[in-house]
Amino acid sequence: MEETNETLCIGIDLGTSRSSISASNGERHVVDSYVGWPVDMVARKLVKKTVLVGREALDNRSMLDLRRPLERGVIKEGSGKDEEAVQELLRHLISLIGIKPKSKNRGKVRAVVGVPAEAFRISKERLRGAMDGVADSVMLVSEPFAVAYGLEALLHAMIIDIGAGTADFCVMQGHYPTEADQRTLPNAGDSIDERLLKLMQERHPEAQVSIHMIRDWKEKWSFVGEPKSRVKVTVPAKGKATEFDITDEMRGACESILPPISETMIDLLSRVEPEYQERVRHNIILAGGSALISGLPDAFEKACLELGGGRVTVVKDPIFAGSDGGLAIARDASNADWDKLSL
Amino acid sequence: MENDVAETKLRVLREAIRSNVEMVRSVRVRPKTFAQRALPVGLWGSLLVASVAYLAVPSLVVSRGKEPPASAAGANTTKSLPPAGAEVMEAAVPLSTPHRLNRAALPLTVKRIVIDPGHGGKQHGAISESGVSEKDITLDIALRLRRLMESAPLEVLMTREIDETLQLEQRVDFANANNADLFVSIHVNWMEPREIRPLETYYVGATNDPALIKLARIENRDSGYSLADYRRLLDKIYLDTRREESHRLAKTINAELYRSLSQINPELENRGVKMAPFAVLIGTQMPAVLAEVSCLSNEEDVKLLTNADYREKIAQALLRGILSYADKLNDSDKKVADLWKKPTKLSVSE
Repeated sequence: MEETNETLCIGIDLGTSRSSISASNGERHVVDSYVGWPVDMVARKLVKKTVLVGREALDNRSMLDLRRPLERGVIKEGSGKDEEAVQELLRHLISLIGIKPKSKNRGKVRAVVGVPAEAFRISKERLRGAMDGVADSVMLVSEPFAVAYGLEALLHAMIIDIGAGTADFCVMQGHYPTEADQRTLPNAGDSIDERLLKLMQERHPEAQVSIHMIRDWKEKWSFVGEPKSRVKVTVPAKGKATEFDITDEMRGACESILPPISETMIDLLSRVEPEYQERVRHNIILAGGSALISGLPDAFEKACLELGGGRVTVVKDPIFAGSDGGLAIARDASNADWDKLSL
Repeated sequence: MENDVAETKLRVLREAIRSNVEMVRSVRVRPKTFAQRALPVGLWGSLLVASVAYLAVPSLVVSRGKEPPASAAGANTTKSLPPAGAEVMEAAVPLSTPHRLNRAALPLTVKRIVIDPGHGGKQHGAISESGVSEKDITLDIALRLRRLMESAPLEVLMTREIDETLQLEQRVDFANANNADLFVSIHVNWMEPREIRPLETYYVGATNDPALIKLARIENRDSGYSLADYRRLLDKIYLDTRREESHRLAKTINAELYRSLSQINPELENRGVKMAPFAVLIGTQMPAVLAEVSCLSNEEDVKLLTNADYREKIAQALLRGILSYADKLNDSDKKVADLWKKPTKLSVSE
């Protein structure tokens, strides 16, 4: 812990759907990873801002050039606008913890940012570039590793961080995870949304739904296995408000991510040293926004039965587990280490 | 117990920092741009003078080289000094009937390899439905291949080490200017129907296959060559004796790729070694191949490609293919593979 009055340590979990920040000054915030610019003069007059971030951007999307600039946990490619949007998102996160990114009088900011376990080196470089002007020194770590560090689950544990864009796996065996210890799957929250939208269009073609409505429903009622109650939504059908029971569609969409995730979990478990496999199986930790899907731990425990059983738990605070872990890393790194990582 | 946790935290933190510092260093020491990498003007001048001297004094070449066997095609031309006015005699040899060079006549070795990660920068190449870009996959595999080759007694150069836009002409010029012995271009395919998962390795040649013509058109996009250049380049397809070596290299690489990847990906369809007029294969002056290592149109392949282990396997297979070719070619008592100690990871995983 080498924090001084002039330095601020932060952990950032830059997510495809939501981004969270935890700071050493005690501030913690989460925002929807949306950035929008008013499309014209009229829109600018109405929203009274040059750029909107998070829920505010989402709520005013009809007047904005709306961007969701992260894809599978890294900056979307091929568009300068998306890179700009990521910088706006980062500036917004920093401003939420009371720092003016461009201020010359601000103290030093040391940031640990979580990236998908198998992010390409080039994606990491882009992200480092986007942090320029936001922080003074930056460390990039895999998202599940940040979670493991924050929980001190560094030995005989498996972290499965299920976000919107990716599901990231990491087996902690007392050392910094190598490529062999980690996996990234594209089957996560977004693939549930797409599946649910497809099922709705197939089974209720008259229902008028958008992907944003689908995401809201998923956050409220997602489940695997048995539902706590029937899932009913009211949406326009040919303009008329109509109620639809989407329980089966919700289950089908949510359960679509179970096979690939279970398969990868079992594959990684089978690669652990035989004498430690049981300990790891009984220490599987779920994090990330999609870990909140009701019934998920039971489903994965069921998948572990074929290996001899296991225990799956969800972290207390799935949304902040990554950024809290990042903050812990930022605080524990020495001044000399941070000097090597300056931008 | 608390001490154990503290020690473990310290250890993993140190490793995390080391990994980041390595990345920062590699970014700060940016590879030179193509213009910077190309030979300086002065050196070009020297090369030109040397080339003229080389052509003007063929006796130097003859006296250094091994005596070619009498049966070797073209042996007559190297046995005696050309008389004055040799250009008249050369002109009498019709260009349309090139002599086939006997490989045994020349002691060839492989010392320098250029790896070419396909596409880059604004040129994404193929993009999977889930958004994975060919340019990122090819760069990742190329960087892995370079790392694996660090212990091999071969010099490795890369046309690009970062996400930058390079025209095909620049890639070709880079390999030629650096006198590379081999050129290996890494690509990822995109094909209809999407169920197929082909593996293909190309060397230079003409083709009548409409699918291959289409593929060549796609890969040759943004080449930087003009129409006149293409005419000149295409003529070389038939005249260039290096084509045979390219074929051998393509065969060893393709065999290693299939042997290794089919164990993980049983549905991989080996379409083997093919000829196609890819610009990078036509313009390069050394044995050159283009490997389409997987298929981004197939989502199962995409899943595998997003797995670092699979990309490592591809790099290892490419390495084995190159070394196997070099071993067969190098006129040396000691094989390249013997000189190079295989990394533990490779021997364990195979």
